[in-house]
Amino acid sequence: MAQAGKGKLNYRCPACFMRDLDIDMFYDNDKQEYYCLRCCYTGSEADVCAKNEMARFRYKNILTRFKEFGHQNNKTEPHK
Amino acid sequence: MERFILNVVHRPEMVPEYAEKVTSHGKEEDISRESLLTESLDIFKTQQAIAHKNGFRTTIQMTYASLFNDEAVALAKQHHEQFGDEIALTLLGLTCEKFQKKYKTKDFCIWMFSMKDKKAIVTDVFEKFFMCFGFYPESTGSYYLDAELINYIKEKYPSVKCAVATCWEEGPKAYRTCNNSWYTLFDGGPWNPWIPSKQNTHAPASNAEEDSGIVAIPHLSRDLMACFDGNGSNFGTHPQNVLRGMIYRDGQYPYLYNLIDQYRSLAVYNEGYAYNMMFVGPGWMNKMGRWEAPYSLLLKSYEDGMAYYAELKQEGNLTDMTMSEFSDFYRATHTYKQPECALWRDILYGSDKQYFWYADPYMRCCLDMNQGGAIIDLRPYVAKLNWPVGIGTPHVQNASYPFLIQSNYRAGYFTHYAGEGTVKSCKLTYKGEEADLCLCRSWAHFSQKGDCRVIVLDPVEIVLSGVSLKLVSSFTFRQGSSEIEISRKIIECSDPAAEIELNEYITACYGTTEYPEDMTGITLTLEKGDLRRSIQYAYGCREDSAEGYRALASILAIQTRVIVQSHSPSTAYYKEGYAFSPMFTLGLKQKIVCGEEMKSWLRLEKEN
Repeated sequence: MAQAGKGKLNYRCPACFMRDLDIDMFYDNDKQEYYCLRCCYTGSEADVCAKNEMARFRYKNILTRFKEFGHQNNKTEPHK
Repeated sequence: MERFILNVVHRPEMVPEYAEKVTSHGKEEDISRESLLTESLDIFKTQQAIAHKNGFRTTIQMTYASLFNDEAVALAKQHHEQFGDEIALTLLGLTCEKFQKKYKTKDFCIWMFSMKDKKAIVTDVFEKFFMCFGFYPESTGSYYLDAELINYIKEKYPSVKCAVATCWEEGPKAYRTCNNSWYTLFDGGPWNPWIPSKQNTHAPASNAEEDSGIVAIPHLSRDLMACFDGNGSNFGTHPQNVLRGMIYRDGQYPYLYNLIDQYRSLAVYNEGYAYNMMFVGPGWMNKMGRWEAPYSLLLKSYEDGMAYYAELKQEGNLTDMTMSEFSDFYRATHTYKQPECALWRDILYGSDKQYFWYADPYMRCCLDMNQGGAIIDLRPYVAKLNWPVGIGTPHVQNASYPFLIQSNYRAGYFTHYAGEGTVKSCKLTYKGEEADLCLCRSWAHFSQKGDCRVIVLDPVEIVLSGVSLKLVSSFTFRQGSSEIEISRKIIECSDPAAEIELNEYITACYGTTEYPEDMTGITLTLEKGDLRRSIQYAYGCREDSAEGYRALASILAIQTRVIVQSHSPSTAYYKEGYAFSPMFTLGLKQKIVCGEEMKSWLRLEKEN
């Protein structure tokens, strides 16, 4: 079994990313999967991408463009 | 007239951070590898070209390694002549073969060296710069510059008047995010430019005597909400930070523009002035890609970010300056005691959370409107703590300015099972029922009245033992006073005769990390004129109270005294903590009815 290496795009572990940890994963060529050195996550590139998309769940305004920031003192309504 | 100032800073870093580890995996370490040097300079050229194409002058911060590279030196001279870029000098990017051999170390963070080495390195780098350019730089910087280092630089090279001196809230959170391997521990500084004091970089100078002689700028302009809870390196005016945070979809990252625009909006709170800085090291635009993003997206994000700034400039909404120009501008438009204010709203997570940040030479403070205006962060700048960092000092890596309150590191309102967390809030009680304003979500409004900055919250509704009332909280920061005036007023009540007890309290400790410190050096006191009742902290769970007194805590470890007082009849108290709750609480209790107001003051002093 040959040693693991970095994948082509420095994928981080999506499970660790969701707990605010940036851990680069390594690629196991024999099993054709990425794996994390810290937690037990393993997955194909497609699975990593899918989980990264899931990690964005907290960014509800990821595609929202705001035009005002509540600095007009006469405005009492928070943004929706 | 509102002015939004932009500093664009680039550095030709011949061995970029990340690059060796990231791009050279599987090869023996070799920081002199030709491909690494060539790519680094290419990235610098690309960044410069993008800035110039968009009509911006940059501050070129030469690194130690780049001073030995003829092409980098020639490029800086050419861009200065052709575009008006400022040629400056950074103390980042020390890593190169020459440096490592000369100083016999792989250390690369200037603030972590011994003072002897700091002096030698500064002299080495500044003299090499002079040999290359025939003058000494006016701007310098690093991720952090400690006060001793700034004082030395200013004394030896008085031409320096501006420096990148800290990264906002880069501390334990960044350390943890990097799997506990990135030792940039310097929480607790201002988020926007300031004049550092000679005693402590984080703490702004309050007068000419304390003035270190430079204007400090932060490394990047960071999200004042997201960075308080999360990894700072995901939420800044650094396009690749936004990619690192995965805050994009289909190549779109409106968050970056929202962040810039929210910084622009801060002009309302700061007499028409707002600020941004963009400073992307070459390692972040690596040809191999970074953080799941291919090079094409790294490049596009930089181009898009710069293009947005250009759009603002064309509309007359942005002024670009070099760092030394900005220093002159800042000195001409700011006084020592002028605070920096930011009413900041969530622009990412879809909540209605709102913070108010305040910084002046005496304190840094954050109010959380989602917790009824509770203070969730408090740093006693008034102490101007002498806190040397680097090898040979008690704090080799830890340059953070200590907190009294940090509700994420030391709980806050919510704790598990037992004990208390650090927070300043108010509890209301009536006929055996109690409510804490931490559970009353509200929204704030800012106004400036003379030398006071005032935050008024929308009324909150509270129901206690069948009585329904509305209460308004306001916070007044009087410039130069080192205190916060807090008002709680009942404006409506279903029973006008109901006497509601207000308990205005602060639960605090001290520290720079999540872990508790030794509390035994703290003295808790009730004081009224010459009358004093004190205890020495011993984790004894003791408490005392007295009418007409004020309560104070002296924390020798951080040379700080915290005082709570009221001018109306109230009962002051202190509460000692215990081992499972290493905190202290100071408070004031007063009963009021509908239409009445309780006013109190939280004051910070230097404890000698």
